[in-house]
Amino acid sequence: MTTDGPTPATGAATLPEPGRHLTSPTTRAALRIQHQLLFAAREFLRGRGFTELLPPIIGPVTDPGSRGSKQVDIDFYGHRYKLMTSAILYKQASLLAFDKIFCIAPNVRLEPLETAGTNRHLAEFHQLDVEVAGATRDDVVQLVEELVAHIVGSAVRELLKEFAELGRDTDAFAELLKGSFGRMRHAEAVAELQGLGHPQSPDAELDWAGEALLSARRDRPFFVTDYPKGSRGFYDRENPEDPGLLRNFDLIAAEGFGELCSGSQRTNDYAEIITRMRETGENPQKYRWYLDLVREGVPASAGFGIGVERLTRYVAGLDAVWQASAFPKLAGVVSP
Amino acid sequence: MSDLSAPGFPEEEVRHRARVGTAAAFPPPGSYGQVLLGAERPPAGQPGPDAGDALDALRIVPPVFVPQRLARLIDLGREPDYRDVELTTGIGGFTSALPVYVSATGSTRAAGGDLGLALSRQAGALGLPMVIGENVVPVNGYGRLGEAADRALLGRLRAYAEELPDGLGGVAVQQSTEDADAEVWNLVYSDPAALPLLESGRLAFELKVGQGAKPGLGGMTVLDAADAARLGDRYGIDPVFGDDSRVLRASTPGTFTAEILRQQVRLMRNNFPRARIWVKLHPGRDVAEAARVAAEAGADAVTVDGAEGGTGWAPGVFPAQVGLPLAECLRRLAAAGPPPCLLVSGRMWEGGRAVKSLALGARAVGLGRAALLAAAEDPEDGLIRFADCLALELRLLISALGKYTPAALERADVWSPDFPE
Repeated sequence: MTTDGPTPATGAATLPEPGRHLTSPTTRAALRIQHQLLFAAREFLRGRGFTELLPPIIGPVTDPGSRGSKQVDIDFYGHRYKLMTSAILYKQASLLAFDKIFCIAPNVRLEPLETAGTNRHLAEFHQLDVEVAGATRDDVVQLVEELVAHIVGSAVRELLKEFAELGRDTDAFAELLKGSFGRMRHAEAVAELQGLGHPQSPDAELDWAGEALLSARRDRPFFVTDYPKGSRGFYDRENPEDPGLLRNFDLIAAEGFGELCSGSQRTNDYAEIITRMRETGENPQKYRWYLDLVREGVPASAGFGIGVERLTRYVAGLDAVWQASAFPKLAGVVSP
Repeated sequence: MSDLSAPGFPEEEVRHRARVGTAAAFPPPGSYGQVLLGAERPPAGQPGPDAGDALDALRIVPPVFVPQRLARLIDLGREPDYRDVELTTGIGGFTSALPVYVSATGSTRAAGGDLGLALSRQAGALGLPMVIGENVVPVNGYGRLGEAADRALLGRLRAYAEELPDGLGGVAVQQSTEDADAEVWNLVYSDPAALPLLESGRLAFELKVGQGAKPGLGGMTVLDAADAARLGDRYGIDPVFGDDSRVLRASTPGTFTAEILRQQVRLMRNNFPRARIWVKLHPGRDVAEAARVAAEAGADAVTVDGAEGGTGWAPGVFPAQVGLPLAECLRRLAAAGPPPCLLVSGRMWEGGRAVKSLALGARAVGLGRAALLAAAEDPEDGLIRFADCLALELRLLISALGKYTPAALERADVWSPDFPE
């Protein structure tokens, strides 16, 4: 296993030929683990009363909150549409139909070229997206904890052969399977990183190297909570008791694998959303359908998205996230 | 020659410099020994005060005692002269050959086509940072998927980068509220063509809050009706001209509060950690407060465009009656404590106004109309000759003040009865 090292020069990233990739025992074992994780997630969420929805792939607007990446424009009968970078806007809207929803959503983000060498970015990937009406941030943090413990436990129980084939020691999940993940506030993570000599900005998301550094020092996944405004999209709710901080979280894997999941309690107040859109440099005009809906009222909620390929990479102990995709797309690399 | 004109701007003087270069800093050599100069204000072809402009009305006042010249004398082991002034200046995270950058000239037709490319090439060759205007992408396209490359952003980026000497210059790509739709920054940040600039630390993103030509309004351009139909669902199209062939395209100015500006700057730093972050402000009455907010949020440079500034097409009442003049912006910024890297623009074309701006707290000055006119006068070398002349004047003036770097300039270097210290 390797952890995120320094970013290699762009252009260094290559992918194997599709035929060789698909027939490789590593790919097969990784995809079987992924299959089991998704199977168990559906089982767990249905058991908790969630309804699975099929997410849209295109729309007039999509999630702007993806660090540095570019959206893909689609010519929709003369209108500029976007491929989804995440299902966030639709997740909130879907709560008008059901109180608890989930979907396994494809996302496309044209990530900066430098991400081709991080081993943890794909230009096309999937998220296990979950949204719960009336929930708080802490409610969904607990839900993530139980969900991840359940699905990893299921894979470990069912797929001994695959783990053996990958050389992945499942003892690595001993702490995870107990279901109690670590928790630290963003400010604490910044202090720890700065104490390690890593120049982490207190106003920004944890950078990739910083995240990997914290991750490598831990033996179980952990939550980082309360990110500052200016590091996230407009839909993360600001904490009224602690202005400037958001009621959100990331789940970061152990062993240097980095971020697996992002989530938050959502902003659902119309005026607050408009203001936060401006704070995140967005032009509210293009969010017309979403804002009309919010103005009429969408339920308060909290939710999260787990990166399916990233979770697979962590559980399978893969060197790079592209190994967890049958048809991987890396930034700037042409592949099927 | 081109048909570009700039009424009210010292157009002929700029064109003269673009033609003859450093010689334009002096009276005609043939007049030496034959003409008694100095009574004209200003002498023909020379920079001189516009009575209504407080910055022009300032005088540059060299001292008798020059301790910094002594330090330079000791350093060099000979008497220093104007050629010993070191003009290399850090501008918003870049290194510039002069305390000068080329201001944004956006999608406006005046800056389009070959002229935009000529300007980019020469700015690159000079090692001067260059700003690419906010609405080039939404209006002219990016240039990757076959749009006319000369007008598109990519064409300008390439023309600039091809000429750029190692270690100098950089490009700041503007984005405003409206073109958040076009995701200009995200596009550039992930584009192979921009990678050499990004990897050498010479790419910046400039958040355009406003501009000098029309404070409080968004960008405006005149479009022909066919182009307008193409842009219709993104911009406010207004048929104000009373004929069917041309329409006004007006962007919104965007809504800012201190918190919105602060968070936008932070988000830019968060999303584009390898790019420099610049913020451009219009000459609003709270310009000093806005500059402070931007700098504290982490902007590498804050640009203030005086009410004299802007190539942008604007309703007549705005240039005439709206916004603070640059001199007043500088006074307010100095009083409040200027941001660490303050860039200013507004009617810049010669060394006097530039030195005064630097003495009042600016790090560098932006060339807008002057750069366009100089490039229009001679697309090969006009801006280069013009910049040579400007550099010579800067050296003459700064050395006369007993100083040898632009950073050494200070408030005491300028004086006017109407502009108390």
